[in-house]
Amino acid sequence: MAAPEPLSRGAILEPQTHRRAASASARPARAGRARRLPRSLAAYPALFWWGVFFVIPLGWMGYYSLGVKPADLAAGAVSLDDLSLANYGAATSEIFLKVFWITMRTGLLGTLACAVVGFPVAYALASYVSERWRAVLLFLLVLPYWTSFLLRTFAWRIILAPEGTLSTTLRALNILDQPLLILDTNAAVQLGIIYNYLPLMILPMYVALERIDPALRSASMDLGAGPLRTFFSVTVPLAAPGILGGLLLTFILATSDYVVPAILGGARGLMVGNLVASQILASQNLPLGSAMAILLIGMLAGVVLAIGLALWATRAALRLLRGRAV
Amino acid sequence: MASDVELEQVTKFFGDFKAVDGVSLYVAAGSFVALLGSSGAGKSTVLRMIGGFELPDDGSIRIGGRDVTALPPYRRDVNTVFQNYALFPHMTVAENVAYGLRRDGVPGAERRARVREALEMVQMLPLAHRRPSQLSGGQQQRVALARALVKRPSVLLLDEPLGALDRKLRQQMQVELKLLQHQLGTTFIFVTHDQEEALAMSDTIAVMRDGRIDQVGEPTELYDRPHTAFVASFIGAQNFFAGQIGQDQRLIADGFVIAAARLAEGAKPGERGLAGVRPEHVQLSAAEPAAPVNKVSGRVMALVMLGDMVEFVLRLPGGAELFSRLPRDAGVLPGQGQEVWAHWPVERVTLFPYEALAARESGLRRRAEQANGSA
Repeated sequence: MAAPEPLSRGAILEPQTHRRAASASARPARAGRARRLPRSLAAYPALFWWGVFFVIPLGWMGYYSLGVKPADLAAGAVSLDDLSLANYGAATSEIFLKVFWITMRTGLLGTLACAVVGFPVAYALASYVSERWRAVLLFLLVLPYWTSFLLRTFAWRIILAPEGTLSTTLRALNILDQPLLILDTNAAVQLGIIYNYLPLMILPMYVALERIDPALRSASMDLGAGPLRTFFSVTVPLAAPGILGGLLLTFILATSDYVVPAILGGARGLMVGNLVASQILASQNLPLGSAMAILLIGMLAGVVLAIGLALWATRAALRLLRGRAV
Repeated sequence: MASDVELEQVTKFFGDFKAVDGVSLYVAAGSFVALLGSSGAGKSTVLRMIGGFELPDDGSIRIGGRDVTALPPYRRDVNTVFQNYALFPHMTVAENVAYGLRRDGVPGAERRARVREALEMVQMLPLAHRRPSQLSGGQQQRVALARALVKRPSVLLLDEPLGALDRKLRQQMQVELKLLQHQLGTTFIFVTHDQEEALAMSDTIAVMRDGRIDQVGEPTELYDRPHTAFVASFIGAQNFFAGQIGQDQRLIADGFVIAAARLAEGAKPGERGLAGVRPEHVQLSAAEPAAPVNKVSGRVMALVMLGDMVEFVLRLPGGAELFSRLPRDAGVLPGQGQEVWAHWPVERVTLFPYEALAARESGLRRRAEQANGSA
């Protein structure tokens, strides 16, 4: 090709800041009178909210978890005279660990199930459904959220009851020969969690998939990649932020859920959220409840961190395997 | 290396809309062909069918003699430069170019050599580690070109390849693409709505309208001997006079007679017709010409400076506008407001059957474009 560079290259080598500096100096008269407020100012209300209603209470909870339940509750909810880690010892007793494990399993399985069911839905919505139907289907997807979480979850009691809709239908179809006995077990909790958090998985995935220019898939196929290859080399990496967002959102909310196990789980379907609630509300043991809550948060953070590390390692390994491009 | 492409009666529907209507086209191996038409003419759909992104509802497509009508894109020896380049945003420039070679299983050392070669060809090697988002439009265009050509396809498809570039860069890339095509000998098929671009780059132009091909030919042929008034108006500027077609290849217009040297297919005596003459063939003089036909008087309403030429906009007695383009050094030129006689030689006039194209509008649009260009 002929040598044409200066034109096109000049444009890119000029740093972005030049332009901004130029435009700022273009109106010096105003700058003298009222100094422009920094743009980061917009973040402060949210930071304030987050700090006051999240970080500080969390700090208090951490502090409380080191105290003991006072002998006389009239003196206050927690006694902080002798700080110790004793509550963490109590929280990691065998029965509690079992509930922790069940919680983790329920959260992970629920997330996995939501992903398996949700991804194809998000993909179809983003790629195959016409614009008009897309709006209708998205509306239907969030429609359940117009009723209260509590009511929706209670409705599942009717469906899952031994003589409920699901049980009688399955028996009528000769799939079961006796009543379905999953209400007030972890299985019912699992179902309720998948049901409640599925839209939270689908929406971020859909948004990410929808933003991918269809021409990129065409380009991939044009360059010799079949549909499967294109999916893994173009669609998944580009939708990764949405996929991870959906997974995180679902996993965190599902694992720390309290309402679903309380309504559908009965005594056998307990999760950590219920343990925390019963310690704080029923036993009035604020320190032990706090310790459990802190452990739950730590556990969640640990799992998220572990998955993140695994992803990072996989990517690094893949890159190494693929070799340099130039 | 290069292959020929043959479309036979290719038809494509989108719902009830016939986007492409029985298009047959032969593209010789190693040629540079433009599909030219306004938006909605079906030219992009034709290109997408050659690339395999759309399946024709009827007809067949052969590339290098092989029927590829139903083959998916990844099974065709064809690569595409997409309209907005469609570079993978999550990969570097080099990764983008290497993508196709990886899919073909080209081993590491050879792959890297070819990626280098392709990036060198478009002078993008120094920016190999940038992301597409860090590149200008022209640079992205080059990467898209390298990515498509690194696979050494026998046919390269380009969908409005220069559409997103500014005028200066576009003209420069036109030359580069043309040189590159000569150098590689690959068959290039490109889609454009810009007649200047088509004239500048291609060996052959297929003018499309409403899903059909109006005319196929070399640029000079289309310019000098258009088959339809549409082609005449689409390629270059054109003055049209509407009137009744008389005997001896004459058109009886509003108060004057136009004699034509050429009768386009379908123009019959007794029917309505359009006489077309290009602005550069319209001469101006102060005195009335001696010839009995092909002259009309009018007032100079505006002068448009085009660089080496000046365009005169005349208002005719009936209210119509006539454009004349004269070299700036063609003696004493008339000034604004002056009454002049416009005249043109018989051999420069073609008679077309009447069609309802906006004859005036096309002249005005060209003029506006030219004026913008020279500004």
